[in-house]
Amino acid sequence: MKVWAIIVKELREYMLKPGSISWGLVFPLVFSLAFIARFGDIDHLVPGLLSISALFGTTSFVASSIIFERRLRTFERLLLAPVSYGEVILAKVLVGAIFGLLVSLVTLVLVSHFMAYSIWSLPLVLLYLVLSNLAFSALGVYISLAISNPINVMTWLNLIRLPMMFTSGAIASLTLFPRWFLIVGLITPMTYSVDGLRYGLLYYYDVIPPLESMLALVMMFLLFMLLSIRALKKLY
Amino acid sequence: MIEAVGLTKRYGDFTAVDHISFKVKKGEIFGFLGPNGAGKTTTVRMLSTLTSITEGEAYVNGYDVRREKVGVKKSIGVVQDVSNLYDELTVEENLRFLARLYEAPLENVSKLVRDFNLPAKKKFGKLSSGYKRRASIVAALIHDPPVIFLDEPTIALDVKSARMVREMIRALNVAGRTIFLTTHNMVEAETLPHRIAIINRGRIVAMGGRSEIRRLLGSEIRVRLKVEPLKTSLIHALEGYSPVFDEDALVLKVDDIDAFMEELAGIKGKLGFRIVHLSTELPSIEDVFLELTEEEGEERGCACGGCPI
Repeated sequence: MKVWAIIVKELREYMLKPGSISWGLVFPLVFSLAFIARFGDIDHLVPGLLSISALFGTTSFVASSIIFERRLRTFERLLLAPVSYGEVILAKVLVGAIFGLLVSLVTLVLVSHFMAYSIWSLPLVLLYLVLSNLAFSALGVYISLAISNPINVMTWLNLIRLPMMFTSGAIASLTLFPRWFLIVGLITPMTYSVDGLRYGLLYYYDVIPPLESMLALVMMFLLFMLLSIRALKKLY
Repeated sequence: MIEAVGLTKRYGDFTAVDHISFKVKKGEIFGFLGPNGAGKTTTVRMLSTLTSITEGEAYVNGYDVRREKVGVKKSIGVVQDVSNLYDELTVEENLRFLARLYEAPLENVSKLVRDFNLPAKKKFGKLSSGYKRRASIVAALIHDPPVIFLDEPTIALDVKSARMVREMIRALNVAGRTIFLTTHNMVEAETLPHRIAIINRGRIVAMGGRSEIRRLLGSEIRVRLKVEPLKTSLIHALEGYSPVFDEDALVLKVDDIDAFMEELAGIKGKLGFRIVHLSTELPSIEDVFLELTEEEGEERGCACGGCPI
């Protein structure tokens, strides 16, 4: 009940904030359109584009909301209420995942016009999208709370997100790089999302088998949730 | 209702609040005065569970602040020194959201909106600063708490809005609520609290009722004297009483009023002037505040540079 109340409040308060719109909605969609326009055959790219949409949608939304809450001290208003740290973090992660899922679905609808995929692959794709959005949202919440000065959150976030677009195999397959680069790929959270979605849509994967991708995303979600609760306790 | 025993907060090597102890009785307005950086806000943050306690104990409405946070949170309403509701939500939506968090009846929202004459359908971000503060105070009442913490409630408000807020505070107290008020506004300090504590450099330097606090400067009385004609020789003759001009009168610091009156009569006979006005007054709380916090005129720096003292 309390978690749901926070989610509704977050959507109403922060969905139209510039940070959510520019980095969370416009950037992934324009990025996807640019690739669709440049390359005719985009099948191999689509999982990456979906994953990028999820990453930027979720993290931009949660960062935008947490920056505002920390600067305007509405976070303190929230913590003065009888709500646990866990409930606050869960609400933040869920609302980020909802926003990210919407952005990913818009991307999916967009790319549907340029590639053919079986309708039967949709349930698995949706499952990977949900898990990716949850994991990325938790990552975004953790980074937004761990950076001491909220003004710097977006900069740090981009420093982490932009390289991930390349180290995850979203744009170019990890199999094309030297073997040592695989290690970088394996420690990139987005790799698991890209390979999972690739399996869901195209029935093959580059590096990570589908079940391992799924488990890794669940583990990441839980790990970043716990880290976020710790960061929030440290902050207040 | 509120009790602090040896309450201490340290940020690394820096001690923001240093072993303070006090009790606030039920139904009391307790004024917590201090200059910037004295430790007022840190004390409120500790008592309201927002900041951890380094040392000591605190109880609010019978709940241990360290161990029974939920009980404390349900017992208190906190109005911080900023109006921190959500800009994009209307006043009513903000109150409904808080009612859900506190599991308070939603009927409270319409009652509070009506009682405090708030523009329910207006977005919080579009309100004037006076109405924002009013809405912030009302938001702290959504779950009908017995204890209210008000941290600098009239800061940055114009005269009219500040008066409106003071009237609200009085009304809340009359309704039976215990109020912990931090301020460095002397109008508030002179008029609102039943008892006052003055905190400086993290330590309580004075505590008591308003008249007790005023008497802390000793038996000194201020004498306001207006004579005609005013001669330089009179000012010289009264030099021992540290005379200063306030408009067209002389203000003197007098320890023994009888001896002063005797001396004044002698000077009057010698210099020949007419006393137009003579009155006495005790020092104000502002005088005591300045005296007790004088050496700390400048803001206290904090070692970590970022802690909310």
